[in-house]
Amino acid sequence: MVTPNATSRAIIDRLPASGERPEVVYRYAGDRFILLEYGDIVLDLRMNFRIFGLNDAIGKVRIPGLIETVPALRSMLVHYDSLELSPRRLIETLKELEAGLPSVANLTIHSRRVQLPIAFEDRHTRADIQRYVKYTRQDAPNIVNGHNIEYIAQYNGLSDKNEVIEYICATQWWNACIGFWPGLPFMFPLDPRYAIVTPKYNPTRPWTPEGAVGVGGPCVAIYPVASPGGYQLFGRTIPIFDLQQRNPAFKENPILLKAADRVEWVAVSDEELEDIRARVYDGTYRYKIVAYEALNVRSYLEFLDLIKDEVAAFQKRQSEATKHVPVP
Amino acid sequence: MLEVIEGGIQTTVQEYPGRVGYLNLGTYPAGPMDHFAFRIANLLAGNAPGTCALEVTLGGLKARFNERRVVSVTGAAMQPTLNGSSVPMWQSFEVKPGDLLALGMVKAAGGFRSYLAVSGGFDVPEYMGSRATFTVGGFGGFQGRGLKKADRVPLNPASAGNKLAGRRLRKELIPSYAAEWEIEVMRGPQADPDYLTAEDMDLFFSKAWKVDRNSNRMGIRLESHKWQWARATGGVAGGHPSNILDNGYAVWTVNICGDQPIILVADGPSLGGFICNATLVHASTWKAGQLVPGRDLVRFKEVTIEEAISLARRLDASVSERSIEREY
Repeated sequence: MVTPNATSRAIIDRLPASGERPEVVYRYAGDRFILLEYGDIVLDLRMNFRIFGLNDAIGKVRIPGLIETVPALRSMLVHYDSLELSPRRLIETLKELEAGLPSVANLTIHSRRVQLPIAFEDRHTRADIQRYVKYTRQDAPNIVNGHNIEYIAQYNGLSDKNEVIEYICATQWWNACIGFWPGLPFMFPLDPRYAIVTPKYNPTRPWTPEGAVGVGGPCVAIYPVASPGGYQLFGRTIPIFDLQQRNPAFKENPILLKAADRVEWVAVSDEELEDIRARVYDGTYRYKIVAYEALNVRSYLEFLDLIKDEVAAFQKRQSEATKHVPVP
Repeated sequence: MLEVIEGGIQTTVQEYPGRVGYLNLGTYPAGPMDHFAFRIANLLAGNAPGTCALEVTLGGLKARFNERRVVSVTGAAMQPTLNGSSVPMWQSFEVKPGDLLALGMVKAAGGFRSYLAVSGGFDVPEYMGSRATFTVGGFGGFQGRGLKKADRVPLNPASAGNKLAGRRLRKELIPSYAAEWEIEVMRGPQADPDYLTAEDMDLFFSKAWKVDRNSNRMGIRLESHKWQWARATGGVAGGHPSNILDNGYAVWTVNICGDQPIILVADGPSLGGFICNATLVHASTWKAGQLVPGRDLVRFKEVTIEEAISLARRLDASVSERSIEREY
């Protein structure tokens, strides 16, 4: 089964790059999982779009013995029952599906648009950040005036925290995958003109309020429950995980967001957020989810091309600023 | 109903194979840490596969029955007693209303978890398609948590029982829980030569790894090690060569988090940004569930997919009536 050019015993098979299609590598992950990867190790949303294209294609055929798939940035973990479906047969099927996939540009990905209210620099993230200063690290350079939001501004060459807020609200956030903890989204900006980046906490922050929103590297995450964390926090939103399923949004399961959702942030005050959260739990708040939309990759790629000079300009401004800002 | 007198260190309601199908929402399957001992316990008590039983970690459970049932205790030797008199393990016996079953603490004999099955099984609600307790998310099982003093855990109606008493597992099938283990794994998904060197992998397979004290249902930590690494850094994914762009984690994979290998087990994280250099095969995962933290040593043995599948068939086939004999 191992092809002659396979470089590792962990690699089951490869499909060489062809035209627009990146190389596909199929790896063993024990006798019940395989891991499929696209292309080089680079952060490129087009690879993620292709993963969703493949995931849709898998969903449309019946593969006896296939249990589940886990789409991620440039990879997909495939869970299967090797007593029913041989890995050889599984990979042959995946290769056939690969051959039938349209080019990334021709993909249309079903993508819900989810509007979430956010209170920037809210009292709960502020309280936990201040606990960190008191009990964990007094001289943390990533905490300026008791919060992380001004540090995010400094690190990205933005003039002040208001510009950070403007940037975060200016783009939709693509949820590339869910994981680590139940319901935790890994989101990336669809408009790279607003792609803020930050280093992570050092050491990790022992406390983070449920609903906190933060950025680590290029990724924005929402904390589904109160937990330790390492991302630079900028605000707090409404629950994305509710064990008790107190709102119709959690009717099916306690998890709000799905991979390939797009999140839009709507700034609200601290008081407004508290009020909305209360209505989430009494069941009267309706989450703002547009379920029927799709991401047309071709128009998106055209858009990227249109803004590429602005993106380069922002990246230059960022890298200039980063030089002068200490890393935690 | 089972009335808990003492909950012990960590006693949870589990179900095999657990909450399968939610990895893409960030949820590992939970379920028993040792699926072999768990399934045998149910078999001895005359229960169908998929019936809920208790997982008792380290020991200390005391519980009273208020009805006539047949029960069995398997797994690590916890010197079970019924009303103070010793009762055998790996063999079913009858309990009457008012009987007190007590499990002692695991002794030097080895093993870390035992399983208590009761004819009919424990009656707890399904949550996200399963009744297994997921300790990280706090859901499933009995109120999403370990059992505590005064809990009253409902039982399903049992079919007429006393011919179920006196069933035992054939002696040659009772696993031995030594302090040194050999655990079968498959190389990958991220191994040599692309992530680690061939020497790193040779050492991984030859070293006896000490199990860290800080191990639980999320991860079994092994001692840290200075790896050579095949790459200088993780590139876009982070500064350390163990960093990769986040991908789904196979259940029972060996995750190398910085320098430390951690076997990701039943309640682990579903996705993350560290390499996994080997993955336990279905037929060996139960061994991870019996490792004694702070004491046991583990050697990893590489097997091929064909070997893994044949081991899995043999193990699953042994969970059958043919493995059961009568005491008299």
